[in-house]
Amino acid sequence: MSSLATASAEAGASGTGTSMVGEPRTDREAGRALYAHAARARLLSARMTFLQHAGRVAFHAACIGEEVAIAAAAMALRERDWFFPGHREWAGALVRGIPTAAYAHQAFGTAADAGKGHGAPDHPASRARHVVPASGLIGAHLVQAVGAAWAARMRKDDVVTLAMFGSSAAATGDFHNAVNFAGVFKAPCVLVSRASRGGAYKPDLADRAAAYGVACASVDGGDGLAVLALVREAVERAAAGKGATLVEVATERFTSLPEAWSAPELLSLGPAGADPLARLRAALARDGALDAVGHDALVAELRAEIDAAVEAAEGAARPPFASIFEDVYAEVPAHLRAQAEEASS
Amino acid sequence: MTVNESKGPQAPDASGAPRIMNMVQAINEALHLEMKRDERMVVLGEDVGRVGGVFRVTQGLWDEFGDDRVIDTPLSEGGILGTAIGMALYGLVPVPEIQFADFIFPGYDQIVSELAKMRWRSGGEYSAKMVVRTPVGGGIRGGLYHSQSPESLFIHVAGLKVVCPSNPHDAKGLLLAAIRDPDPVLFFEPKRIYRAARGEVPEGDYVVPLSKAKVVREVDVAQGGRAVTILAWGAMLYEAIAAADKAAEQGIACEIIDLRTLWPVDIDTIAASVKKTGRVIVVHEAPKTCGFGAELVALINETCFLSLEAPPVRVTGFDTPFPYTLEMDYLPLAHRILPAITETARY
Repeated sequence: MSSLATASAEAGASGTGTSMVGEPRTDREAGRALYAHAARARLLSARMTFLQHAGRVAFHAACIGEEVAIAAAAMALRERDWFFPGHREWAGALVRGIPTAAYAHQAFGTAADAGKGHGAPDHPASRARHVVPASGLIGAHLVQAVGAAWAARMRKDDVVTLAMFGSSAAATGDFHNAVNFAGVFKAPCVLVSRASRGGAYKPDLADRAAAYGVACASVDGGDGLAVLALVREAVERAAAGKGATLVEVATERFTSLPEAWSAPELLSLGPAGADPLARLRAALARDGALDAVGHDALVAELRAEIDAAVEAAEGAARPPFASIFEDVYAEVPAHLRAQAEEASS
Repeated sequence: MTVNESKGPQAPDASGAPRIMNMVQAINEALHLEMKRDERMVVLGEDVGRVGGVFRVTQGLWDEFGDDRVIDTPLSEGGILGTAIGMALYGLVPVPEIQFADFIFPGYDQIVSELAKMRWRSGGEYSAKMVVRTPVGGGIRGGLYHSQSPESLFIHVAGLKVVCPSNPHDAKGLLLAAIRDPDPVLFFEPKRIYRAARGEVPEGDYVVPLSKAKVVREVDVAQGGRAVTILAWGAMLYEAIAAADKAAEQGIACEIIDLRTLWPVDIDTIAASVKKTGRVIVVHEAPKTCGFGAELVALINETCFLSLEAPPVRVTGFDTPFPYTLEMDYLPLAHRILPAITETARY
């Protein structure tokens, strides 16, 4: 068993441990941690894709090929910072410390889901981890991330917010509102766009950022460590009171998967050099940071972790009927009590 | 039949004279009080700072609390409400102002899809409590984009509370209650009576609890004769009272209920009255179809069907956009309420 994966799994399972986000001390450690986070996301996304095809979960927002960039962006945050994911950035929520088991309970909507089965798969949230629940509407969270950042600045807290989104969200009114308000109020936030090379809509975010008076930087999403370094710089810049940054990460999603979830080639997809995960692994191997034995142990451990999480969640009880009526308001009001009673009588 | 008019609270100031205020002053006083009491509270919106708001409701707040807590925003309701949600998630208590309820729709998605659902979609981990203040209603020559009453569009959305005060005393107390409530509240301020409705306002801190209607005119049916319950809120309350005064001249007594909180509605107070009178009229400015009157009539049918002596009646705006020139013909004013009272009483 790899110590790297163990540390990561423990960070995920603990309640409010200081290892929540993990702030690796060296680049080698950062690289190894990033690989573990991204490999978990790769394996989990593939597993969820197969579960969805089999009709065992209703929905999955796959991020295969983009998980290195997503994990790197989330890793750039400090423990006290806030993460506003879109639905495809659930992997970042796991980096923030939401355990794989909790992700699975959320995906299967079980009684053990913190969200009480209210939300569709891939919307895990945690107040303790500063992970806000993703919206079903593309781009709606961007302006909220700006508001939270603005609130942190008002409270004089050293807190940065990071919202991540697919570049298609740049067409929404909420994107405009977010970048405009971020520019006007110099909110300490980082907006990270996954700009899929294969996407039909390719906005030039640098032009837009300039128009709003917001900094912009682009990076190759195939290079996870570069994403980590750049987003860290943007976080530091925001924390230093220098305002918001729009980060454009060029990514590519792989939709063609091996037939079996257990196939080793799942961790090296596409033509040689195309897979950011394999690219990171090769870099770590070159540095002597992750050898083949350590890698195989890590993958075996991640597969076991995912197997256990899926098995537990799929076999878990559904939330009780009354949970439909909970959390609509802070207290269940009379009309909802009446509806609940009428339906159960 | 006897009619008991409920007296407003008596609130003498230091000199012993009552403190008479209009709605704008009372709401402004509530905002001042709560910003002093709760340092997490912020006010944001278009021209709410230096200008003091389009109706001057936030006047003086910027001078007292500064840029950080009284924020002039860009003109974008989606931006105002979206950032307010982020602030609320972080732990502030935002009280955004939308200049006119008619302008709320560019931010409607943030209210419906985000604000109303934040607690539910996180299983209670997160909430985004805030009070969205916005002037509502017609009768000010505002035309079709400064006159609407969209309350039912928010009542229909699970997770929101909806309040509409009719007088300065209630406006202050309801606003303080709304800001301290753990859930998001839409606070509709009837702009036609912003300055016209004047009354005594107690000094200092008090709340008018949410979801408690007020019987503003009570009838004693033991005295005999036919009585009608009228449900109203905001500016139309005064039209209901005027119509009831005329009806009284014809020997028809009206029990008048000011709902104050529209949702969750105080159905107990409504049902107690309708069971007593057997006759009920709902008055509102919003269009008739799927207006809040429809829900009230349905609730009355569910709770009071066997007590009804006449079909419940709605006197409302028409199912049209709000007209500029003919706005007084559109509004359900006393002259339209009176025939409904007499017909219901004679049914």
